[in-house]
Amino acid sequence: MTSSLPATRRQFLRDLGVSAAALPFLAGLPGLHAAAGGPGKQRLIIMFSPNGTIPWEFWPEGEGKDFQLKRILQPLAPFRDQMLTLRGVHNKIQGDGDRHMRGMSCLLTGTELFPGNIQGGSDTPAGWASGISIDQELKNFLQSREETSTRFGSLEFGVAVPNRADPWTRMSYSGPNKPVAPIDDPEQMLGRLYGKMKDKESLTSILDEVREDLALVSRKLDSEDKSRLEEHLTLVREMEAELQRSDENSELAHPVPEIDPDIELVNDNTPRISRMQIDLMVNAMANDMTRIATLQFMRSVGQARMNWLGIKDGHHSLSHEPDKNQDAVEKLIKINTWFAEELAYLTRKLADTPEPGADGSMLDHTLIVWLNELGKGNSHTLSDVPFVLLGGKAHGFQMGRSLQFDKVAHNRLWLSVAQSMGHEITTFGTENHCEGGALNLS
Amino acid sequence: MRLPSSQNSFSFRFDSLLPRLVVFGLACSVTEFSQGSPEVASLESHPGAAIYRKMCLECHGETGEGVEGKADDPLYGNRDLESLTGRIERTMPEDEEDLCVGEDARAVAEYIYDAFYSEAARARNTPARVELARLTVPQYRNSVADLILGFRGQIGYGEERGLRAYYYGGYKFNDREEFRKEKKKDRFETRDQQIRFDFGEGTPKREEAREFAPQGFSIRWEGVLLPEETGEYEFVIRTRNGATLWVNENDHNENTGTEKTIDAWVAPGNEVRDEKGTRYLIGGRPYPIRLEFFTYKEKAASIELLWKPPHGVLQTIPTHNLTPDWVHESHVASNPFPADDRSVGYERGTSVSKAWFDAVTAGGIDAADYVVTHLDQLAKTKDDQPDREKKIREFGRLFTERAFRRPLSKEEEKRFVLRHFDEAENAEQAVKRIVLMALTSPRFLYPNLSHGEEPDQWDIANVLALTLWDSLPDERLRNRASNGHLANPNQLGGAVDQMVWDWRTKAKVREFFHHWLELERAVELSKDETVYPEFNDSVLADLRTSLDLFLEEAIWGENADYRQLLLADYLYLNERLGKLYGKPGIKGGFQKVSLDANRRSGLITHPFLLSSLAYHNSTSPIHRGVFLTRNIVGMTLKSPPMANEFKEGKFDPNLTMREKVTEMTRAKACMACHVTINPLGFSLEHYDGIGRWQTKDRNKPVDATSEFLTDSGETIQLTGARDVAEFAANTPSAHRAFIQQVFHHLVKQPVLAYGPDTMEELRSGFAESGFNVPQLLKRVALTAAQGPPADSSGPELSSASR
Repeated sequence: MTSSLPATRRQFLRDLGVSAAALPFLAGLPGLHAAAGGPGKQRLIIMFSPNGTIPWEFWPEGEGKDFQLKRILQPLAPFRDQMLTLRGVHNKIQGDGDRHMRGMSCLLTGTELFPGNIQGGSDTPAGWASGISIDQELKNFLQSREETSTRFGSLEFGVAVPNRADPWTRMSYSGPNKPVAPIDDPEQMLGRLYGKMKDKESLTSILDEVREDLALVSRKLDSEDKSRLEEHLTLVREMEAELQRSDENSELAHPVPEIDPDIELVNDNTPRISRMQIDLMVNAMANDMTRIATLQFMRSVGQARMNWLGIKDGHHSLSHEPDKNQDAVEKLIKINTWFAEELAYLTRKLADTPEPGADGSMLDHTLIVWLNELGKGNSHTLSDVPFVLLGGKAHGFQMGRSLQFDKVAHNRLWLSVAQSMGHEITTFGTENHCEGGALNLS
Repeated sequence: MRLPSSQNSFSFRFDSLLPRLVVFGLACSVTEFSQGSPEVASLESHPGAAIYRKMCLECHGETGEGVEGKADDPLYGNRDLESLTGRIERTMPEDEEDLCVGEDARAVAEYIYDAFYSEAARARNTPARVELARLTVPQYRNSVADLILGFRGQIGYGEERGLRAYYYGGYKFNDREEFRKEKKKDRFETRDQQIRFDFGEGTPKREEAREFAPQGFSIRWEGVLLPEETGEYEFVIRTRNGATLWVNENDHNENTGTEKTIDAWVAPGNEVRDEKGTRYLIGGRPYPIRLEFFTYKEKAASIELLWKPPHGVLQTIPTHNLTPDWVHESHVASNPFPADDRSVGYERGTSVSKAWFDAVTAGGIDAADYVVTHLDQLAKTKDDQPDREKKIREFGRLFTERAFRRPLSKEEEKRFVLRHFDEAENAEQAVKRIVLMALTSPRFLYPNLSHGEEPDQWDIANVLALTLWDSLPDERLRNRASNGHLANPNQLGGAVDQMVWDWRTKAKVREFFHHWLELERAVELSKDETVYPEFNDSVLADLRTSLDLFLEEAIWGENADYRQLLLADYLYLNERLGKLYGKPGIKGGFQKVSLDANRRSGLITHPFLLSSLAYHNSTSPIHRGVFLTRNIVGMTLKSPPMANEFKEGKFDPNLTMREKVTEMTRAKACMACHVTINPLGFSLEHYDGIGRWQTKDRNKPVDATSEFLTDSGETIQLTGARDVAEFAANTPSAHRAFIQQVFHHLVKQPVLAYGPDTMEELRSGFAESGFNVPQLLKRVALTAAQGPPADSSGPELSSASR
């Protein structure tokens, strides 16, 4: 067996490939034609990070095309011309729930929370959002048309999201009272996307040993019992052959990203998990398994301890510190800059990948929206939610600008996004927040 | 009713053996008799042989195998010589019954009895052997679960039922972690029998909760869940408020724990809603369960925990399925498996198919994933411990050794364990391969595979665990084997005594009874709503519970006795069943209720069994009669000569069921068997299609009396169910049938492979023990551990150790 064991994991995974299901547990792999795309392909990625930002280090200096990036957005400098910052967009949803809850669960839904039993730090207790979120709305729209429908329709990625369902941990809703849980385990996501590749790896490595062992133990049996083991042996041989065939047939427009499936889902592995999730997301989109994806870092009120940035305090506690606490502000800038770096990694990855079957890069066909449940952590404001858009060429937005709006409701941004993807809705979420219609971003 | 005492029929059987031995001039024991071929040669000179060739061979074939189109069924059976003689005298040759009577009938009976008819003759002609067998599906699932569980510890549960309940008056619930840390002075602990509470707009109605405020309180329930069936369970939290459920998951931490069974913490509005989750569970095994509940600033509060077992109905989880103990969580192989071969009347591991192989492979992968996910916990190490690698290597060795049920040789350790650590990139990958390798190895999958050496104590431990538990040896049994404490009968008896009372044995025995009573026919049983409007899925579920409680008591209770299974005059009834079965005074949950002994007699009058052995709108004396004949009285039946469906519409509507069946089976070809089936079936005519006592059928009085011809040729008068029960309880052939079923279910090998005397030894032992079922289980396990006689099984099988 030693001889057939690949030298490195990288090589092994490359050799492995994927194919139509040869085995019952290697199910649901994409077809070879999946990568062929039309010229007008449009995607949407929504990335969330929690607990507000530091506005004076976030918002660029200057308006329109003439603007300078401040510290937090510096990692995105290479994409300045494909970027749009939207200041003056407010989450105006009122009603039950504290602002973290409304900030999170009304962010993509644009509608109120139901009354409920979950008590936040203030205000009245609340339940789930009372409407669908924009990502799921657009998923349904794309899935309803043959030319834009994909295998998954949407994929919800998480990074370090705790295993609990409440209004602080869910932003995506498939309908009223129907939160969608993000998958924050790259292994689970890999399994979902490509079948259990590693099972094949493990199997390949042991089958010939099983075969040898069967031969060995058979020697001690009489003919009648031996025949039972011979049937067994035949089945082992068949499975080996099937695995071999599935290797030979395997071809994918974009090879499966290399990830370590055994990574532990612990706080300190967050940076690695983040990159794995981003790799998987871009890969799934390159293979046209989905055109809608969300990427949720932690959760609203998340207490991530970013040891990898040398920060020992919990994120949420830090975000409560007053502006005069220089140390805390500095740490929060670092934290938000780190999120911007992750966004830059995602953007770079899309920019570097040619659009399958079309001109330009994947970034040209993808609109990324980065957002947060609060404008600023210590004031808990839902005004001036830090919205950054990237890519979006195929969506008809005029990028490379810093825009200032006059206290507009964020529902109108979702109208712009929906319409840019051909979904001609005139209201989304709470109707009176849609007054004035879609924001003009072109 | 006239009944031969067991003493009489016992000696009668031996009397009947004697002339046979004398006739053939063989002054030898039965054992010797059944060994070689010289006796067969001398049989051919028996006067009966010539008669057989002349009058019988044409239809029955050279060795009684049958001739197509003439006598299709082989001439095998379990009548004794007397009965066989009588039968030939009365019925053979067909249409010329006068040709073979008297001495001739006797001679031909003697000949065929010893040549091929009797069980002993068949055993001699085609010797039964202990076959190489793979794990059956239940054995596979239990073995995988116990193998992994063994690295956490033992599990078990006590007699007490219900869950531990912790009530808190606190209401600081903005974070669940804080909820759990909450240490309020207004708190108390108690036991709750079920989780089904409507607090209305108030607080828990208990003295200890007087300080609680309706604005907010919380409750946590913890304990053990005892499912009865294997399969997918749907759990439902029905509440107006917030709740979270964990089943088979002890890590409740939000960052490290795996998925909750149900996360219903958020309650939108204050409406009652159902939140669902599913878990695949193996019946008979205990699992940890935990439910957390809270209400905050809501108008009203309520909580109920329900489940829908496989094939069952949605119901509040019953008290008897909950205990206040604590157990480890288990890995459950939940992937689908093809059904085991049941063609010989019991499930056994003889079919090696692609579907099975794929299932085993998938199960191995799942188990490997589970082990790697929980590796530090199972190997008792931590991520940052310097000796982590060493401990994981040790884990790999122990895992393989326990999967193979014996210590590894140096060579095997290298092959199955060490090389993976050398070849894999990290310890996790190595463990994954080791687990997958072990669980797909023939050494794990074929538990009676030879290891090429003389059988030793590891083999005994293996057979005992497989026989009583459908699993592999636990720590205690492994220790006995490794210390040489399974060597003499005393040590063996001690080990088995302990094992018999283990929950795993009880689980396997419960499964046996379900098989014996053919309860699978009651799955999704439904009745005609116009005839039995009171019968519904809830009644059916209650009846199943009632039967299980009865079996538990009759098998494991104090002074339990197999005869009580048949003769007991009590039933377990709850409020709903009480109303339906004539005890309307019963309130609440299940209780043991004594009934009129003339109207109820143990298992055979249990309404669950009677309902399953009936048509949807009437009784079915044929189904009941066949069941009683084969499973209770212990007589063999051949398949019917022609398929003959019972069609209600064909009969005069004024006929009683008894009259219809009598008419339908009137033909001579039918009566060969229905002479037995009908009287037994008719004796249950006092129980309607859902097992209620009835006195009239079509406005005519029920007639449950009949004459029944026993195997030994005696006619007894039956007046009702109790007479059948008394007959079975006191008749050795019925005991033998029961023992044989028990043996086959436990051992999954033919009892004849364990020697010609084994059945008789088990039977007399059973009688001597006062028909104590646990004692019988013990004897069966010891028989299996002892293995087949040395000369009938080759050295290729390891289960033998004399």
